[in-house]
Amino acid sequence: MKDLLKHLSPFAPDDSGACSVLYEMGGITVICDAGGCAGNVCGFDEPRWFEKRSALFSAGLRDMDAILGRDELLVRKLALITEQSDAPFAAIVGTPVPAVIATDLKALERMTEKKTGLPCIALKTDGTRLYDHGEEMAYHRLFERFAEEKLPVRKGRLGVIGATPLNTGKTGSAAIRAALSDKWEEIVCFGLDSGLEEVRKASECEKLLVIAPSGIKAARLLEERFGTPFEAGYPICGVPEGVSGKVLVIHQQFYGNALREKLESQGCQVTVAGFFMMLDEYKRSGDVHLDRESDLTELIGSGGFDAVFADERFGRLLKGFEGKFFPCPHFAVGGKLY
Amino acid sequence: MAEAFYITAKGLAENGFEKLPRELDSTKHLIYSSPATLDFNSPGAKGFGVKRAGLVIPGSVMLLIAPGCCGRNTALLSELGYDERFFYLLLDDTDIVTGRYVRKIPEACAGLLAELDYTPSVIMLCVTCVDALLGTDMERVCRACFEQTGVKAAPAYMYALTREKRLPPMGLVRKSVYSLLEPQKRYSNECNILGFFSALDDGCEIYPMLENAGIKKVREIGRCKDFGEYAAMSRANFSIVLNSEARAAAQDMQERLGIPFIELTRMYRADKIENQYRLLGQAIGAELDCSAYRAAAEEKIKAFRKKHGALTFAVGESLNADSFELSLALTEYGFRVAEIYGTVGERNFFYVRKLAEVSPETRIYSNLSPTMMNYSPAPEIDAAIGADACYYHTGKAGVWFNGEEQPFGFRGLDMLFEGLDKALDEREEKK
Repeated sequence: MKDLLKHLSPFAPDDSGACSVLYEMGGITVICDAGGCAGNVCGFDEPRWFEKRSALFSAGLRDMDAILGRDELLVRKLALITEQSDAPFAAIVGTPVPAVIATDLKALERMTEKKTGLPCIALKTDGTRLYDHGEEMAYHRLFERFAEEKLPVRKGRLGVIGATPLNTGKTGSAAIRAALSDKWEEIVCFGLDSGLEEVRKASECEKLLVIAPSGIKAARLLEERFGTPFEAGYPICGVPEGVSGKVLVIHQQFYGNALREKLESQGCQVTVAGFFMMLDEYKRSGDVHLDRESDLTELIGSGGFDAVFADERFGRLLKGFEGKFFPCPHFAVGGKLY
Repeated sequence: MAEAFYITAKGLAENGFEKLPRELDSTKHLIYSSPATLDFNSPGAKGFGVKRAGLVIPGSVMLLIAPGCCGRNTALLSELGYDERFFYLLLDDTDIVTGRYVRKIPEACAGLLAELDYTPSVIMLCVTCVDALLGTDMERVCRACFEQTGVKAAPAYMYALTREKRLPPMGLVRKSVYSLLEPQKRYSNECNILGFFSALDDGCEIYPMLENAGIKKVREIGRCKDFGEYAAMSRANFSIVLNSEARAAAQDMQERLGIPFIELTRMYRADKIENQYRLLGQAIGAELDCSAYRAAAEEKIKAFRKKHGALTFAVGESLNADSFELSLALTEYGFRVAEIYGTVGERNFFYVRKLAEVSPETRIYSNLSPTMMNYSPAPEIDAAIGADACYYHTGKAGVWFNGEEQPFGFRGLDMLFEGLDKALDEREEKK
C-alpha cells in the first residue's frame, strides 16, 4: 500500500513548513486547529520555540466551532490579540480541520483584515502535504504581499531564501553567514535572525541564494518584480574524506546537490534522491523522487551503492545494506538539530 | 503584547465560576502553546498521550490513520522504544474530504501484520479530528479489520476537537484499553486500580493496607507484563478508580464484566487522604488503618519545614496533582503559594474558594493565555513544583513531580517533600 508507513514516521508537514517561515517575521500566526497541530509544531517541528519568542497560537477550535463554521469567533479571538500587541500583520495557517469542513480561508483573510486593520495572509495548508510545500507557499505569499517597493540595490548584499531549521537543522543564521562572508559584505537570511523589515527591503539585495527548493518560487517572483538574480546552492555542507564509489544522498534537493559536488571532487559517482520536492531544472539524470518506503528499498536494492548519506531515521529501511552509512541529519525527517 | 494576566484567588472566588475572566476561559481566546505545557496542549504530544496510552495493552500495536501532521511527533516516542509498534496510514487531501480511506483500513492492518513476526494482541486504530468531523463509525471499522485479519482491533480516539467534552480523548482511550477484557469468574480477594497508565509508586501504603484487608492481588495495567496478566484484570471483585478520566472505563467494566468500582481522588491534604481511606474501608467492608502512615508523613513535612523554613512556592499544572488542591495543602502545611499556573474548572473551583480563605493573594495564571508569552518570574519564589512552574522559574529549586511512578495517598506526600528536599539541597550546594 502506497500510504502505509511500516518503518518511517511521518515527515514534517506543510503547516509546520509555513510556520517555520513565519516564525521570526513578527506577525501573529494562528494555526487553525484544535490544539494538536500547534502542539506538533511548537513541541517538535519548531526548535526555536524554546529559544526565541514568537506570537504563534492555536485557534483552539472545538467540534461545534468546526461544525457550525464559527469563523467570526476565530476572527474575534485574533482581533483580541492584535489589540494587545503591535504586530505588523496576521497569518492564518490551515490544518486538516478547516480542510475537512472546507473553510474559506480567503474569506477568513478578508474578515481578519477588516476587523483588525492589519494585512493578513491565509495559507491553505492542510497537514497532508510535506513541509516544503508549506514553506514555498509562505515564502511566496510573504514576498508577494510585503516586498513591494523597488529600492536601490546595495552592492554586496546577499539575500538567502530557504534558511529554516527544517531545511538546515540550524536555529540561527551564524553558520550560513560565516560560510558566505568572504564573498558578501551583508548577508540576510530571510526569516532566520531577521524579520518582516528585511522582507520589505528584499529589492535591496544584489543577489539571492536559494538553499532549498521551497524558496525557488519566491525567488522567481523577486526576479520578475525587481530583476534580482538568484542561484541555487547550499553553503554549509561538509563531507568526510575517503568516500569512494557509488554514493546515494537522501536529503532536500539543494543540500543533496551541494553534497554531490563535494563528493564528485573526491571521484564519487553520486545519485541524489529525496521524498521532498525534486525540481526538474536542478535534477540530474538518475536523480530520484521517492514517494513511498518501497521506492527507497528498491533503489537501495538495485542501485549497487557503496555508501549512503541520509538521516538516521532512514536506517530502518536500509537493513541488509552492506555499504557504508553516513548519518546526515535532516530536521524535517528525524527532528534532530545538528 | 500585554503583560501576563493573573487574578488573585480572592478576586476569582468573589467573581464566581460563572464570571471567569476571559483570559482564564480557553474558549474565548487563542491558545498559547507555552513551552512549559506542550504535553497539556496536545492529546498526542508527550507523556501518556492518546498514542502511547493506546499501546499500554501488552503485545499491542497501533495504526495511526491520519494526515502526516498528526503523527509527526510520534518520533518522540521512538526514544522510548515504541518504533516497532507504530504504523501509519497517511491520508491525502482527497481522503480527508471524501473519507474513502476508511475502506483501506482493513487492508492496512493486513499489511502491517505481514511485517511482524508475531501476532499482536490487538491493533489499536488511532483516529484524529478528521474522523471526529466525518463521524467515522470506528466500531464497525474495527469489526471489519477483525474479519479480514483475525486479530482484534480497538479504537483510540485522538480527538483534540472534543477535549472539553463529557468524555474527552483521555477518557475514551481509557475505555478502549480495558475494552478487550472478557467476563470470567471473579475472586473476592482480587481488585484493580484504574486511572493511570503507569503503576502507583511501589511504596504506596494502599498496597499493604489492602493486603491487610484480605485483598491478595491488586492489578494495574501499568504492571501487566503480558496479555495474560492484562486479561486477568476481569477476575477482580472490584476496581478502585483514582482518576476521574477512568470513570467511563470503570462504568463500562461494571456493565460488561459486573465489576463495581469505588472512586477516590488523588489529594495532598492529610485529613482528606485519611478520610478517603476510611470511606474506602467502609465500601469494601474492612477497616483501613492509615494512622501510622499519616503520622509519618506529617512528621516528614514538619522536619522539612524546620529545615527549609516557610517557603514560597509556584505551583504548575504539568504535574501529578490538581494544582489548586496541592496549593491548598501546601498552604495548610504552613507554606506560601504565591503563584499557580492552572486551568480553572467547575470541579476544582471548590479549591479556589478554599484557597481564597487562607491565601487570598495567591496569583492565578492560565498557561493557555496568549499573555503568558510575556510572563516574568516573580523573585519571591523559593521553589517551583510542576514541569511548567520549573520552566518559568529556571534557576530556582524545583521538582517536576510528573514522573511515571504515580504518587498517591501519604506516599504521594513523601514523594513530593523528598523531591523538594533534594532539589533545595542541590540548589544550596550550587550556591
